[in-house]
Amino acid sequence: MSTLLDLINKEGENMKRKVVNLVLSLIGPIALIIILTMPIGPLTGGLGIIQPIGGIFDNGAPEPGSQVLALPGLDAEVEVIIDHMGIPHIYADSTNDAFMALGYMHAKDRLFQITMQNYFAAGRISEIVGGYANSSDKFYRTIGLKRSAELTLAWYEANAASNPDVKAALDSMYAEVEGANAFIRSLTSATMPIEFKILGFTPELWTPVDCFINAKMLTWGLSGGLEDFQRQWIRETLDNDTMYNDLFPDLMPYTEPIIQEQANISYAEYPLAPGMAPATDNPGQYASMALADEVVIPEEKLEALIKSLNEVLNPFGDMELVGSNNWAINGSKSSTGMPILAGDPHLTLQAPSVWYEAHIVVLGELDVTGTTFPGLPAVLIGHNDHLAYSFTNVGADVNDIFVEQINPTNSSQYMYNGEYRDFTIHEENILTKEGEIIPFSVKESVHGPCIDSVWNTYNLGIESDANLAMNWTGSGVTHEMVAAAGFMRAQNLDEFIDAMYWWDSPPQNCVYADDAGNIAMLVVGRFPVRAGYTGEYPVVALNDSIGMVSNIPYAYNPREINPSRCFVSSANQRTINPSEYGYDILGPQDNGYRGRRIFYLLDNNDGITVDDMKRYQADVVEVRAEVIVPYVIAAWDDVGDGNTTISDAVDLLRVWDFDMEPDLIAPTIWMYLIDAIHYETFDEIRSINTAIPLSRTPILEELIVTNNSYYFDDHSTVGTVETRDDILVRSLFTAIDKLTVEWADEENWEYGNRHIVFIEHLAGFTYIGGGSHRGQITLNVAPTWIVTHGPSTRLVADLSNIEMSYMAYPGGQSGNMFSRHWDDNFELWYAFNESTEQYGYHVLYFYSTTDAFRTADTDGTMIERTITFVP
Amino acid sequence: MGKIDDTIPDIGFLPALVITIVFGIVFQLPGDWKLMLIVGALGALFVRRIRKAFLVGFLGVGLAWGLIFAYLIATAQAMAVADMFIGLLGLEGLGAIVIVISILIGALLGGFGGMLGRAIYELIDEFLPSDSSGSQTPRPEPKSSEEEMASEQ
Repeated sequence: MSTLLDLINKEGENMKRKVVNLVLSLIGPIALIIILTMPIGPLTGGLGIIQPIGGIFDNGAPEPGSQVLALPGLDAEVEVIIDHMGIPHIYADSTNDAFMALGYMHAKDRLFQITMQNYFAAGRISEIVGGYANSSDKFYRTIGLKRSAELTLAWYEANAASNPDVKAALDSMYAEVEGANAFIRSLTSATMPIEFKILGFTPELWTPVDCFINAKMLTWGLSGGLEDFQRQWIRETLDNDTMYNDLFPDLMPYTEPIIQEQANISYAEYPLAPGMAPATDNPGQYASMALADEVVIPEEKLEALIKSLNEVLNPFGDMELVGSNNWAINGSKSSTGMPILAGDPHLTLQAPSVWYEAHIVVLGELDVTGTTFPGLPAVLIGHNDHLAYSFTNVGADVNDIFVEQINPTNSSQYMYNGEYRDFTIHEENILTKEGEIIPFSVKESVHGPCIDSVWNTYNLGIESDANLAMNWTGSGVTHEMVAAAGFMRAQNLDEFIDAMYWWDSPPQNCVYADDAGNIAMLVVGRFPVRAGYTGEYPVVALNDSIGMVSNIPYAYNPREINPSRCFVSSANQRTINPSEYGYDILGPQDNGYRGRRIFYLLDNNDGITVDDMKRYQADVVEVRAEVIVPYVIAAWDDVGDGNTTISDAVDLLRVWDFDMEPDLIAPTIWMYLIDAIHYETFDEIRSINTAIPLSRTPILEELIVTNNSYYFDDHSTVGTVETRDDILVRSLFTAIDKLTVEWADEENWEYGNRHIVFIEHLAGFTYIGGGSHRGQITLNVAPTWIVTHGPSTRLVADLSNIEMSYMAYPGGQSGNMFSRHWDDNFELWYAFNESTEQYGYHVLYFYSTTDAFRTADTDGTMIERTITFVP
Repeated sequence: MGKIDDTIPDIGFLPALVITIVFGIVFQLPGDWKLMLIVGALGALFVRRIRKAFLVGFLGVGLAWGLIFAYLIATAQAMAVADMFIGLLGLEGLGAIVIVISILIGALLGGFGGMLGRAIYELIDEFLPSDSSGSQTPRPEPKSSEEEMASEQ
């Protein structure tokens, strides 16, 4: 009996021990599961993603070979030939099929980028990166790009049935979205962008609104600049209108205006403004109106507004740096007897690139190649089978601030047309990655959303109701995608101009050339006609007689068609000489140095070849230096004290040909010198407030050339009157002293030591470049020291042989940083050939059938693989 | 049905390790690291002691992932991916650390899976009748098992 009891006790102990063992054994797995799934700093996706398969390492795998993929919704099979640069050549039977395939390719190669730009523009970036980004979201929800996108989509849907142009654009959008969603639905660990794995984010399906948000972001980035606050702050801080008018004019001296032979088109045929907006052919009727009083915003609020605006990231870079070049020559200037067109839009250099190349063929309907904006169904820069086009930004001020008068007894109302009206309140709940909801509301008046809705949340302890309404021409319904759907298909200049009747925003200088020998510079976009105010400063507009009351009719938009000088060019400078144009176009526009260089090159050369065009795109002559340095040298020779260090520096400048080459020292001296001349000349400005910009270089140039005595006198010295030469020599000392200190660690002063191109990944995971870089404020634009802006693509289109046109952009087709197409285009874009004086390009393969493409690929180097989409 | 340990023989450590490596590779193909717990547990079927179960899982999955990484380094830029990843932490050029940590994680998953599996089997076996038709394998002495657990902790 006792043995039995012992046995039972022993078994019980045994069981207990095994249960304990099991419980103890669970500790390890549970702990590991927690560790591998919990967010660790930026690694929100958890450490589990570093497993060999099913995590981040899948993204290093090579692209598969040729594939056959199902794409539900297609009408017929679509063949996509991927060329050796990873560029898709889409051959479809219908535009619907073509843009479905494009949408799929956009998503396949750039899903993270598109998602980021979309969430960014929609004010949802906190959902991806966390609540710390909520100020960005508040800003973008305030300006309301998503609300405008929704309105735009609704307008397209309402008008598609009655207008084939609108229907074509809308159908393309739907197709793009459907194609992208097919990819998103098929996502596997192998195709999921690595960024999403690390951030622990699962991309959502697209909607047509997302497509329009992308378009709105492009528009905002190119025309959303808010100059009113900055202008007012400078003027109020200077408190000297004479000085303000002298040093901060809207019109820069020495500019070669873009349009010099205005070519109107039929007002009877095009009576409206672009985008079917109302227009007036009699702007003079508003000229006699008394101007509304400028509303001076309290300094503290003004500075807070400017600060908050500066803190908001502009996707395409600082508006002052967003610029571009484009030009075209006709057969009289070219070696071929036919036009050659060149275009290089300057935007933030980002990885992945702003652009995605594609060639789209729908036999008999569409055959166009060039760069698309990922997420939009259009080739925005490139050529079709008859014509080529590229854009530069106009840089006009199309965004004004109206100060609403709030009802003293009810802050949700404002005065307009003699009565108090309710603000429209948009409740915008910002979701965060952490799962929080940040409530946010935006007030909107008849003029637009109150931009200080954001400012009010900045917790500055200043009580104020939001009342600064932003009236931007890009708000609400815009029609640029109708235009894009049209101009891609245009077969001649008339059709192209007709398509651009829809292009309302953002204002662009569109260069054009065709195989009929035409060249043109079409300034497209809606330009407001202002009544009762200038648009420069915030004003009160209590009724509808004050404001953007009308627009310039499209017929009278600035444009040149086949001008007598046989070339057209633009580089963001003054659109047209105000004295030769009946409407006001408000700047600020570019300083004009690139414009002057292009004009010089094209005006002084004939028999220009495609190679010459490539050389011009690589040109690094600093026109600012070309003009100013001789005065500095002369000043040193006249009044210099013989200091050997300065003499040595001047000797380097003496032999310099003004090329901003990395292996030269003179460009480095120039960089310090131009800053020093600004500093030493404008003591009048910096003595008031050091934050005020020290005027613009063309103004400085004019003072130097005209030997202005007032501004060159240093008013901080008593009893002496400094001359221009005194100041230029002093600037030499200032520049060299500073350079000596700041470059003490450098082996030498070669420009390329610190003039570096740096293209950062959108989430900062990696970068492209890092090497020394040519240029500055030059045709090959490369501003500042760490170059993060520049030619976002380079196009040279030869209209005598359109199949031999060229392109390269600073990036690659793939958004996967481990793909060989991540930066192969950059390698071309960056590689400067000293003997040809050109950067690298790839040919824009332009075969209208797959058979022709395959036949041409005799050595198998052109075609990488094929994707066949089947219904 | 007989006891698990009566049904599945103790085949010795090295054969069990080889089986676990194969399981480790096959079960990693779907890309879910949690399956490595199961791989460890499967390996633990073929050994008897908890220490051995841990080791067979730890080494089996660790070696399996090591082999996969060797393949991925050769064919799929695994080192470049690892370098990028470690670069996010400011440790440029030390991508090998990522791969070592990954293998260690896999090994621990396998090891803990092995321990858990063995503990489960032994508990289940308490409720199952002995099956004389099964191969006779010595049951672990409770005392030694207890000591093992203590030493693992």
